Amino acid sequence: MFRCVPLVAGLVLFACSTTAQAQQKQTIGAPPEASNMKLVGTNDLQARSAYQPTIHHQGDRWIAYIGHHGGTDDVPAPVNPMTGQAEPNGTSIVDVTDPARPKYLRHLPGQEGKYESGGAQMVRVCDGKSLPKGDPNAVYMLRTFGSEAHEIWNVADPANPVLVTRIGGLKDTHKSWWECDTGIAFLVSGAPDWRTRRMTQVYDLSDPAHPQKIRDFGLPGQEPGSTGAVPTELHGPISTGPDGNRVFFGYGTNKGGILQIVDRDKLLNGPKEATPDNLRYPEISRMPMSAFNGAHTTFPMLDMPVTEFAEDKDGKTRDIVMIVDEAILNECGEARQMVWFADVTTETRPMMISSYTVPEAGGQFCQRGGRFGSHSSNESMAPVYYKKMAFIAFFNAGVRALDIRDPYHPKEVGYFIPAITPATDKRCIPVEGGERCKVAIQTNNVETDDRGYIYIVDRANTGLHILELTGPARAAAGLPRN
Amino acid sequence: MRRGAAIAAVAIALGASGVGAYRLAPAPAAESAGWREIAWPFPRDGWPAGRAFRCDGVCAGTLLYVRAKRGFCNCDRGVADDDEVDRVADIDLITPRFAAVAPGEEVGLGEMRGRARRYDLDMADGVRHAAIGIAVSRRCDLFVAAAQGRGEAGAVQRAVLAFLERPEMKLWATAALDGQ
Repeated sequence: MFRCVPLVAGLVLFACSTTAQAQQKQTIGAPPEASNMKLVGTNDLQARSAYQPTIHHQGDRWIAYIGHHGGTDDVPAPVNPMTGQAEPNGTSIVDVTDPARPKYLRHLPGQEGKYESGGAQMVRVCDGKSLPKGDPNAVYMLRTFGSEAHEIWNVADPANPVLVTRIGGLKDTHKSWWECDTGIAFLVSGAPDWRTRRMTQVYDLSDPAHPQKIRDFGLPGQEPGSTGAVPTELHGPISTGPDGNRVFFGYGTNKGGILQIVDRDKLLNGPKEATPDNLRYPEISRMPMSAFNGAHTTFPMLDMPVTEFAEDKDGKTRDIVMIVDEAILNECGEARQMVWFADVTTETRPMMISSYTVPEAGGQFCQRGGRFGSHSSNESMAPVYYKKMAFIAFFNAGVRALDIRDPYHPKEVGYFIPAITPATDKRCIPVEGGERCKVAIQTNNVETDDRGYIYIVDRANTGLHILELTGPARAAAGLPRN
Repeated sequence: MRRGAAIAAVAIALGASGVGAYRLAPAPAAESAGWREIAWPFPRDGWPAGRAFRCDGVCAGTLLYVRAKRGFCNCDRGVADDDEVDRVADIDLITPRFAAVAPGEEVGLGEMRGRARRYDLDMADGVRHAAIGIAVSRRCDLFVAAAQGRGEAGAVQRAVLAFLERPEMKLWATAALDGQ
């Protein structure tokens, strides 16, 4: 009997190590890895590296607008099979009305360039009828054009976009925010005379054909003419509009993050000259994070009831901001980038209350190749998931579904890691004077639509995957059984 | 493996020269300077600590801080302008109160290209110091140097660049940029 124990233990160890090895490397033809999430449909996005998806309900159709990074060293400008032409990566426009059969409508080329230097990474969409001075028959897509401009296109016919206006002369751009009910836009720009690559240019885009600049904004020390240390650059803002009267700015990407809470009215109507005092004027508070972590996405969820506090005399509801860092380096070459929840109920004293990361050992993610760590969350505030579920793009760990109803104790309830395809691009690290490359999914961004579908896109050229929740995750979101 | 062996050999060679410190071989005549390694003096921040040196030769008293910063977004453009040097060259570790005294200039370290810029430091003791910030890039990674001293800024910059061009420093920089 006891002689069998070493044999059994050895077999168990062998089985475990084999499983671990299998989890370390994705292979073409292997099925996706999933828990409580199911693939509904997919599109290869012409094998272009994808950044931000925005899903828009347009008449009786649902259209996905997906921004792309620049091309790669191997393929700087992939061929668009619809035109037969090599086109610099730009914006993919996909009809996802039937999520099981996404239909690619149009590729709108972006700026020439590779990786972060080209493409058209960011997309926001507003209906003309919701903008105060928009053409009611128009649908406006705001996108970046590489590092040099912001553009607005009329995509009322999404297969045939028409350029409306362009705000150029910039040294960089990134993830902007556009209020569709007021037209106020917080454009992440690089004004040429500012000392930082990315800051905020506030515009009135209520009439998209005639943009009106309101002001430049950033952290004191970034403005023209200042000296000394330069605070970390902006990644992106999210506004709660005139009713909430707050804008949450995330600075830093993977290091020295800052959550800045700003009074929107003071920002729009306060003194506009870029002096240190004027830049401080609209700020309510800022919360510096560890030097190890950045603030890529700062997603507000205000006035959340917290069940645990239901019987308390005060503080039954809390204002929460979910902060998502961005992993930068391949194969865990930096401190872990993850998800943080801050309680900002007392605005002048925001406090971090919880965090979430994918357990590395659960998939041997540091060995799989490419980046492992968080990048971004869904930014839709549609009731279907808002303040209940959050979806986090976690690079080689795919997308993660979090039950955030108790933000003090966020809990993973599902995940989906797409299968790689022949289009999936390699990710390399320097070794011994050369490079070692691996191929792995790099889920870069995620968005949801009002119907509850989840859209994830891949930085390593694997395309778009449309998902839905199943089982307990679906129940946690309050969705009917599928 | 060969690189690892080479690094080990350099480490052994350097270690043999003193108790945790060393004096590098004589520099070219115009830049005769000896650099002694000292402890990295700054608290932990978002980047791993680098190496610090004190000059004993023509740039006596100059302090030099060098380190790799892996994960830099401008993979194609590199260190494109002087503002980039202001942001990344670690001058702010010495003091957050500094001002550039002139436009920077293009510099190279081996195959890496970037920019150097001269600064005036407003130190806590009220004494003003000169400083040099250098930032060069290799694809998506940076190698930065900050030096402060009493000498003429141009001479300090030449001495620093000559030191960083030495094979043992280039070897270390390559290893640091490789994440080793």
